[in-house]
Amino acid sequence: MQMHKSFADAVFRNGRIYTSNRKQPWATYAAVKAGRFVAVGGERDVAPLIGEGTAIVDLGGRMAMPGIVDIHNHIMMGGQADLYELRFASSDSIPRIAETLHKAASAAAPGAWIVGGQFGNNLLNELNTAESFALLDAACLGHPVVLRDDSYHNRWASSAALRLAGVKADSPNPTDGEIGRDLRTGTLTGVMIEAASGLVERALAASGHYTAEMDRAAVARSISVLNTYGVTAFIDAASMQPIMAALKGLDDRGELTAWAVCAMPVVEPGFMFGKAGEELFALREEYRGAHVKPDYVKVFLDGVPGAKTAAFHEPYVADPVRGCCFRGATMLTVPDLIRWLGRCEKLGLAAKIHCAGDAAVTQALDAIDVVRSFNGPTHLIHQIAHASYIAPDDVPRFAELGVAADLSPIIWYPTIFLEAHKAAMGDERAQRFWPNKDLKNAGALMAGGSDWPVIPIPDPWQGIEGMVTRQNPTGDFPGKSLWAEQALDLATVIDIYTIDAARAAGLDQTIGSIEIGKSADLIVLDQMIFDIPPDQLADTRVEMTFFEGRKVHERT
Amino acid sequence: MDTVDHHIPVTVLTGFLGSGKTTVLNHLLRQPELNGVVAIINEFGEVALDHLLVEGSEDRLALLDNGCICCSVREDLIEALADLAARRTAGTIPPFHRVLVETTGLADPVPVLHTLMTAPGIVGRYRIDGVVATVDAVNGARTLDAHPEATRQIAVADRLLVTKTDLASADVPARLDALLAAINPVAVRHHVRNGIVDPAKVLDAGLFDPSARSADVVRWFEAASQAANAPHEHAHHCEGEHCDHHGHHAHDQGISSYSLIIDEPIQRDAFARWLDYVAALKGEDLLRFKAIVNVAEQPDAPLVVHGVQHVFHPPIMLDGWPSADRRSRLVFIVRGIPRQIIENTLCKFAAVSRASIQRSAA
Repeated sequence: MQMHKSFADAVFRNGRIYTSNRKQPWATYAAVKAGRFVAVGGERDVAPLIGEGTAIVDLGGRMAMPGIVDIHNHIMMGGQADLYELRFASSDSIPRIAETLHKAASAAAPGAWIVGGQFGNNLLNELNTAESFALLDAACLGHPVVLRDDSYHNRWASSAALRLAGVKADSPNPTDGEIGRDLRTGTLTGVMIEAASGLVERALAASGHYTAEMDRAAVARSISVLNTYGVTAFIDAASMQPIMAALKGLDDRGELTAWAVCAMPVVEPGFMFGKAGEELFALREEYRGAHVKPDYVKVFLDGVPGAKTAAFHEPYVADPVRGCCFRGATMLTVPDLIRWLGRCEKLGLAAKIHCAGDAAVTQALDAIDVVRSFNGPTHLIHQIAHASYIAPDDVPRFAELGVAADLSPIIWYPTIFLEAHKAAMGDERAQRFWPNKDLKNAGALMAGGSDWPVIPIPDPWQGIEGMVTRQNPTGDFPGKSLWAEQALDLATVIDIYTIDAARAAGLDQTIGSIEIGKSADLIVLDQMIFDIPPDQLADTRVEMTFFEGRKVHERT
Repeated sequence: MDTVDHHIPVTVLTGFLGSGKTTVLNHLLRQPELNGVVAIINEFGEVALDHLLVEGSEDRLALLDNGCICCSVREDLIEALADLAARRTAGTIPPFHRVLVETTGLADPVPVLHTLMTAPGIVGRYRIDGVVATVDAVNGARTLDAHPEATRQIAVADRLLVTKTDLASADVPARLDALLAAINPVAVRHHVRNGIVDPAKVLDAGLFDPSARSADVVRWFEAASQAANAPHEHAHHCEGEHCDHHGHHAHDQGISSYSLIIDEPIQRDAFARWLDYVAALKGEDLLRFKAIVNVAEQPDAPLVVHGVQHVFHPPIMLDGWPSADRRSRLVFIVRGIPRQIIENTLCKFAAVSRASIQRSAA
């Protein structure tokens, strides 16, 4: 098949090209002109398009496939962390963290902030003591320090940081947040839960720690990391002005190497600060670029299970603070959510709704049900982000209401997150996590995402393997599976990371499959993933990544 | 419940430029029935007040010889109403029991209604009596064609005054009537010559007066639900090409009306929730909504609900049902909200059974 008589700019030949296009799942040749596929098929389909100026990319029999879509990440943070922040592992103990911090503090300029992460949110109880706080303050040598947890919803801050943030022992808790205090002494512990994180983050932002150039560099760094894993499109799941400005700045300079969909928060999230809601939506056309699409909003409906801030139908395990029957709560009522969704649909914006607990999922579906009943069908695809704990009755509602399941972060196998969930709600309930197969059987549109930097490395191949095996591909938790019945077959998982994710991101006319007319986003792999044992999928290396036919990554 | 209504009723007089609104106002201001009425008008210059003046203490406030207090407002209506209430309490103006507000010709009356329904300091003192719109028999159809604002004024009105009928050729009023019926069949229409109108036809619509006789209210709803569901009059009265054009034009702007009669009592909370959803998602297109509801929890006291776009007046409870007919009646004037959506959502969210919804007027 071919579209143009004129010659192609580039031709991929001799590949085993998996297209994610049901009508033509495999091809050996593909031709590109002006960044779009103009022919896909065999040699005969493409040969007439090869002219003098056509670049030939010989795939040497290797597997290629469409660029991967990351349905959920925080595009500035990963790069910022890489370039400007202190890193440590989420499995690190408190003394180990203190040791790492002490080294960094010894080298830091006087008075400079130290920003770091990510500690495991399973440490929160242990951190929330006067003893741990003393350890932190001793290590930071008077610097203002803010450390983020692996959920990014919670912080641990030093005395100097709390002072700059104006937080005192008798400061009231903000709405939807808690300032950590030692249970015995009542003194501050530096632990800042959910909205309380904002107090410290605001002080950091006000300090001018980050500049616009640093923002652009951070985003560019993040995207180049994504490119190395074969990701050529993503949704930034909480797009504030600096992020959209950085994306637009890169796009205008021709330096953006992925499709960027922006989800603008309806209210200021607990970890980013600045304009949100209508004020931010009003600016969206300023940030729209050839590859920057500010067409989503982000709604946070609850927190995370590990911190007991997610909203569940059944209570958490009893604890001294919350008592016996705490279920968590949602941050918006159903009528409020309905108002937001109604407003967003009027503006042509789809919503990505953070729902970590099953009660939050139910509320989001209820609200969408109301909106659909009044507004009728829409081309907009709303997403439930972290569709992980889902009441069985809600599973079929995804397909019924046309709601996409945003599968992120990559924790659909045993992880440290699961351990925190077990502590919060008991083993049995904690393990009814990610009913991916049930969603698939019910016809839900599903999309894979990383939630980077909640997951320290945005490697979709770990996710792809894990979705197939339900076992941890890194070797942690050996021999253990998470709800093995929910495993999916590889072809389904590849759809979830390509064409289905493109659909959920509203970009399926442009990306997600290797088809004539679509963006020439193609990745070349070092192994034929359909021919290997599933537990080797995570070892897949991306040899080359092409974005609009342009090579943006080559493995060295 | 306090049965004495301390709220001062406010009648809103609207009408497009050239629709004869000022002529009507000039006539009204001379009538003895305007004693004790505050008339808030656009400009003194437009109405011929000079020989009516008893006292013109300031340039914006004048007492007429029939006891009407005439007041011109260029700034905020909220301030003016609050100021009038304060002066009334302080005794610096004669006591008044009613307000008539003239809107400008181009104005959308909806914001004025929202002010009366929501503004702090206004809600507790005033209540909407009704919206009266003037429309000119000679040019009305053309105006409605050309100006969506004019159509909106008609759509939200409770009463329509068709003016200049003396100047129009014989068939024109009939054509206009048909057009008005297409936009707002629920409003009562009166024909007016030389601006001469009985003040009773303008003031005191009475529908949302807690002390209103429930029989009157129910009778209004019966007539309105019949009118809203009746085929538009132009189908019967006029075959002409011109008329069809207007009839369709009303539909082109997407304004339509319908009513629902519901046999079974409705649960209060479920109905309130449904209203909430309607306001949130369809408020912009819900030009007027009026309902008399048989509430399951209070079967002896009909509830009257009324809304303008996303704003709903606090429901009014009437003394009792005047007859054995206790069916709920919901009357809608909408822009592009299909009746099917209203029915489906009532069933889904207001716990109304589909079998209890009657589609045709009784």
